[in-house]
Amino acid sequence: MLSFIANWLRDLLTAWFQAWHVPLVFVDILAWIVGGVAILILVMVVALVFIYLERKISGYIQSRLGPERVGPWGIFQTAMDALKLLQKEDIVPAGADKILHTLGPIAFFVVGLLGYLVIPWEEGGTIARMVDAHVGVLYVLAFGSLSVIGILMGGWGSNNKWSLLGALRGAAQMISYEVPMLLAVVCVVLLAGSLSLSTIVDQQKTLGLLSWNLWRPWLWLPVILYLIAATAEVNRTPFDLPEAESELVAGYHTEYSGMKFAFFFLAEYGNFFLVGLIFSVLFLGGWSSPFGYPDPLRIPGVIWLLGKATVTVFFLMWVRWTLPRLRVDQLMSLCWKVLLPVGFLSLLIAGTAALYV
Amino acid sequence: MRKRYGDNLWDLLRILAAGAWSILVGLYITGINLIRPGVCERYPRRDHRPDYQPRPGYRGDFALLSDPERPGGLRCIACLQCQNICPDQCIHITPEGKGKDRHPVQFRIDTGLCQFCWLCVEVCPVAAITMTPDYETATDQPQKLIRDLDTLRERGRNIPEPQRVEPVGCVADGGA
Amino acid sequence: MTWDPTCVTEELVVNMGPQHPSTHGVLRLILRLDGERVLEVRPDIGFLHSSLEKIAERLDYRQYLPYTDRYDYLCAMANELAYVRAVESLLGVEPTPRCQWIRVMMAEMNRIASHLVYYGALGMDTGATTVFLYCFRERERILQLFEDASGQRLLYHYFRIGGLRNDLPPGFCEGLRSFLDEFPRRVAEYDALLTRNRIFRSRTEGVGYLSPEAALSYGVTGPTLRGSGVSYDLRRAAPYYVYPELEFDVPTRPEGDVMARHLVRQEEMLQSVHLLHQCLDRLPPGEINVKVPRKLKPDPGEIYVRIESPRGELGVYLISDGSEKPYRLHWRAPSFHNLQAYPEMCQGAYVADLVAILGSLDIILGDVDR
Repeated sequence: MLSFIANWLRDLLTAWFQAWHVPLVFVDILAWIVGGVAILILVMVVALVFIYLERKISGYIQSRLGPERVGPWGIFQTAMDALKLLQKEDIVPAGADKILHTLGPIAFFVVGLLGYLVIPWEEGGTIARMVDAHVGVLYVLAFGSLSVIGILMGGWGSNNKWSLLGALRGAAQMISYEVPMLLAVVCVVLLAGSLSLSTIVDQQKTLGLLSWNLWRPWLWLPVILYLIAATAEVNRTPFDLPEAESELVAGYHTEYSGMKFAFFFLAEYGNFFLVGLIFSVLFLGGWSSPFGYPDPLRIPGVIWLLGKATVTVFFLMWVRWTLPRLRVDQLMSLCWKVLLPVGFLSLLIAGTAALYV
Repeated sequence: MRKRYGDNLWDLLRILAAGAWSILVGLYITGINLIRPGVCERYPRRDHRPDYQPRPGYRGDFALLSDPERPGGLRCIACLQCQNICPDQCIHITPEGKGKDRHPVQFRIDTGLCQFCWLCVEVCPVAAITMTPDYETATDQPQKLIRDLDTLRERGRNIPEPQRVEPVGCVADGGA
Repeated sequence: MTWDPTCVTEELVVNMGPQHPSTHGVLRLILRLDGERVLEVRPDIGFLHSSLEKIAERLDYRQYLPYTDRYDYLCAMANELAYVRAVESLLGVEPTPRCQWIRVMMAEMNRIASHLVYYGALGMDTGATTVFLYCFRERERILQLFEDASGQRLLYHYFRIGGLRNDLPPGFCEGLRSFLDEFPRRVAEYDALLTRNRIFRSRTEGVGYLSPEAALSYGVTGPTLRGSGVSYDLRRAAPYYVYPELEFDVPTRPEGDVMARHLVRQEEMLQSVHLLHQCLDRLPPGEINVKVPRKLKPDPGEIYVRIESPRGELGVYLISDGSEKPYRLHWRAPSFHNLQAYPEMCQGAYVADLVAILGSLDIILGDVDR
């Protein structure tokens, strides 16, 4: 469906531009802009929806009600909160590095958006077809690890010791957990024989539900590994050390207010949803229908993908409201002493399977 | 520091398995609670327990009970005992009249100072002052917290008898 | 990259509090940090000083009673109990048997309520927010019972010198019994959700060690002391009211770490349930008040009365000069004494351990600063 719309738009634009004798390169430029704006809107909406869901789910888990005053069941609560944050004064603490303090949330937000570019929303590729997705896996991992820069900027630029501690924790944690995450993803890549996310999905679509990577025993370790490492990557409980509110007040975004804070917050949920998307692509068959290929229900692939990602995100939310937080040394020893050896082991298993199964 | 990982592989695996199991149990408990109905009430909307009222004896806002046969229409004999026992000195009474006709012409309670300790109600010899189960007294203006004679009389108009706890108590029920 | 000889590491001095999410109020900790390691902790107290001891000298014995609620606001019944016992001992008044039973019941219920707040707060401090809400859910039922009996939820002012405000309201015992029947299941739920969780265990086991010797020399009491392996409970060591007739264990743990103190409190909640069952079974009928003079004028003298509050030994030192007002009143605050051992426990801890250790001490700043 998406590619249909995109193609239709593209054809239309091409026709018009030809009629008006405009160089065709502008079609591409326009397509980039439209695609970028589409992703921006998507991420904003997704973040607002998932902040709402998180609050509602945490409310129900904790025998509370969650937001319920703004709109039916409180569905407009997060939108109102965003509006409120827009109106708030932007406070830069005394002695802060103004440039870094401003750049931090922007860097974090932009990097969070970039990962969305290579997600295969449906058959035929990415939303705007502007990124060559042959190395999609590499791209996603690379930009995932860049978000630590935003955190460091924000934490250092705030001139606050709690922020600094949070930023340093964040840097240590996100860089360390890159490694097991990479190992988990490499297992899938080994079996798929491709770094392209579309190809990985293509190999899981034939029998629907049954051909998902999730059901392959030699990929069970990577599944667990990826979930753990990805939770750590997006700084959520039990790995929410960089913003541990009972220790570091609010960690790296302690000194942020107004829209800058909202940027951190929205990007966090954007990243979180991205984790769900990538997990769905890698292990849950991406856009493909669970009932076989082609989809007997004729539901667009993007719906399936969003649904699968939502389920993953829901699971991670459930985990968040259950577990306590690790300590910083335990976090590191879990990564280097447990996850890394397990990662190598799973690589061995996946490699063997790739050879002989 | 305590050693946290086992000396050998078997210990490590055992700890990991036990840890994973404990996390699953936790997930089970939160999952059950996710499905269970919550206990929170939609407070200002009151559709959860619409008829909820605190028990008589709840220490809420003040009222002065009325007695139409007495001057001023109040039971109060302005004996100033409540004013004297109040630990926060938030009651101010101006009495008038002598003997049986003694009554307050001004009765001021600053509920912003009050700690709702019930001592004034207890000490009153004629059970004239009481506290109602009305707990919604929050306001954004401090002067609205001051209750004067008219407010107190108005509040007490519909209370026939002082709010007291029923004297019947529980006794040992033999483990029933 | 070349090595810059002027680049050296520095110790970081951080103010934790007085406004901090997990210093349980307005405690200020001055930390000297080496990265995540804590080199030194200096608690700075006094932000919640409300001069409650001086207020007592201004008011007469009856008027001061509501103030005792405000001092350690999570166990108002225990404070009232200590104060009322002190004044009654000075006056030479013995409360009626029914009054004694009800007072013990209320104190035990308050112990459960207070430990529930502790339990949830420790979960919160270690990052598990959900158990906090569960604990408050159960605490709410106790508070509802307290509200029925005393007219308010937190600052009860239920005990009076020589008796009680009123007898138990109808339905109180049934409500309490249904709570007691359900509560052990809930504790098992918390136990599975928080205490047995591997992450929580690794956050608390071996953290914040306090040796029995150090605990005794700092004057630490209550569950914190029992978590260090010293079986000392005033309900046993210096029993008051009906405690000698009741059957209960004094849970003690030898480990001396956060987990030990946590388990002691968890077990104490169950022991309180056991005690409350016995109270309900044996609650005698009869009067609740004894006659006391309208003007309370104890003979000149002094007295020290102590009880086991949820936080430890809660003592009231009272001097009377024969007038209507106390000459001097001093609270022996368990939180204050327990907090003294805090820097000792924090040796070699991480920043994250600080909040867990503080949570396991279960201090109330109103109690520390008075």
